[in-house]
Amino acid sequence: MWNKIEGAPRETIEETQLKRLKETLERVYELTSFYKEKFDELGIAPKDIKSLKDIERLPFTKKQDLRNHYPFGLFCVPMSEVVRVHSSSGTTGKPTVVGYTQSDMDVWDEVMARVYTMAGATADDVVHNAYGYGLFTGGLGFDSGAKKIGATTIPASSGFTDRQIMLMKDFNATILAATPSFALHMYETAKKSGSGYLKDFKLKSGVFGAEPTSDGLKEEVSRVWGIDYHEVYGLSEIIGPGVSSNCKHSKLLHVNEDHFYPEIVDYKTGKVLPDGERGELVITSLTKQALPIIRYRTGDITSLHREPCACGRTLVRMESIVGRVDDMIIVNGVNVYPSQVEHVIANTKGVTLNYQIIADKKGHLDKIDILVEVSDEVLSDSVAEMEKIKKDIQHSLANNLYINANVKLVEPRTLERSMGKAIRVIDKRI
Amino acid sequence: MSKIIKQLSIFVENKMGELSDITTLLASEHISIESINLSDASDFGILRLIVDDSQRAKEILEKNGFSSRFTDVFAVEISDHVGSFNSVIKALAKQNINIEYTYTISNAEIGAFIFKVADLELANAIKTLEKEGIHLLCEI
Repeated sequence: MWNKIEGAPRETIEETQLKRLKETLERVYELTSFYKEKFDELGIAPKDIKSLKDIERLPFTKKQDLRNHYPFGLFCVPMSEVVRVHSSSGTTGKPTVVGYTQSDMDVWDEVMARVYTMAGATADDVVHNAYGYGLFTGGLGFDSGAKKIGATTIPASSGFTDRQIMLMKDFNATILAATPSFALHMYETAKKSGSGYLKDFKLKSGVFGAEPTSDGLKEEVSRVWGIDYHEVYGLSEIIGPGVSSNCKHSKLLHVNEDHFYPEIVDYKTGKVLPDGERGELVITSLTKQALPIIRYRTGDITSLHREPCACGRTLVRMESIVGRVDDMIIVNGVNVYPSQVEHVIANTKGVTLNYQIIADKKGHLDKIDILVEVSDEVLSDSVAEMEKIKKDIQHSLANNLYINANVKLVEPRTLERSMGKAIRVIDKRI
Repeated sequence: MSKIIKQLSIFVENKMGELSDITTLLASEHISIESINLSDASDFGILRLIVDDSQRAKEILEKNGFSSRFTDVFAVEISDHVGSFNSVIKALAKQNINIEYTYTISNAEIGAFIFKVADLELANAIKTLEKEGIHLLCEI
């Protein structure tokens, strides 16, 4: 265990949570008109929250609220105290932006240190980090957590698979941090150099996340590399990776609930559901300074479990994400909403075109095809012009949504419809 | 009479049987195809047709899920002797008129070519060729 709070008596954890919740509520109420107005509307003041149960009376915060206050509208500290920003994809010009003070960075390091410790990593280990470095929280989140425990980090970032494999082998990496699909892709690539080559790797465990993963895929990653599989859950709106992860005793993920307070709600009614029942995960940050967030609707479906774990941790555990409440899909670790794709296409060509997203696997990696129907409005007599439409859409998808999609122009009325309603997403990976 | 000819440009996906779907459709509606040209990219193409009733053809295509548009082109009679095609090209080049594409008319009794130039240049192209004594067709 990295921190003794992970195994503290429930009363201690809950006392800490309540104290931190009250402080957070006082701050957001005082510092942002957004929360003040929402609380006032419901006739609630921070002082009315006397127990953890009272959190149910508080209003929800949604992704759209963050977008509406783009970029820094919900920050609770002056920019001089913000040391880092991250951002996730959005429609043209409107991504979701999150900020961190130094103390937020310390919290992030702390929870990531817990993640690595749960995966059996120590200062003696070499972490090969194949998450993308940049605005995406994956790369830097897994990087600084490894530094916190004193491990050696190989900041490989994404892409260049052949070179990555060589480094992972030559530098004797023992821990692999990657998306599960990239981990499998690395294996397939390494295998081409022969089975003798595979024996030279020193990997013992991996910290995997950033995409929904079936049990079968987890087992395969674990089997082919001969390593322990540890799942890591997180989202940038809350902190990035490090919200929860699993120990070697179970597949359920320990939630770092002294920093992030989890609830499960019925996503239609917003009513809180009891332990064990599946619903939408809602998280309240308890220690965030730059961007505290109250009852954030993650859109992820899971359940909470409070039975004791053999590892001795007393933190509540969550199931691996079983689905989404909306139509969001994840492509090679990047979140994609069909509405964003629609927006990008409309902004590129100035007209709304009918489209369909087809997510599939190419080897072990995700690939995405976007079929766009050619209407009379955009039809040109020139093949070069039509090729340009295709390239332009591909280019704006890459720029705005960070996805490399293959755009295919199709004839009108060729896209599948169900009961007259357009089918926007066909996910062949499921 | 106007020398501008209304060509139908149709978006076609590069897949089996696509072209025959269109020609079958037009034949069943008794639309006669006077001229045909297909320009293709990797996964789609633009089918260019000159038909006897372009307005009706467009409506039929639309009803059956094809995108199409009209494109203004002109047709030049080119007799079968050395340099006749060249004289047309030279006349246009002298006026800096760029030819976007050209193709032969399949069923003409005399040799004839369709020419597409930028819409802004169309009137000038027709005037230039007529001044050179080159014969343009009014209909096909």
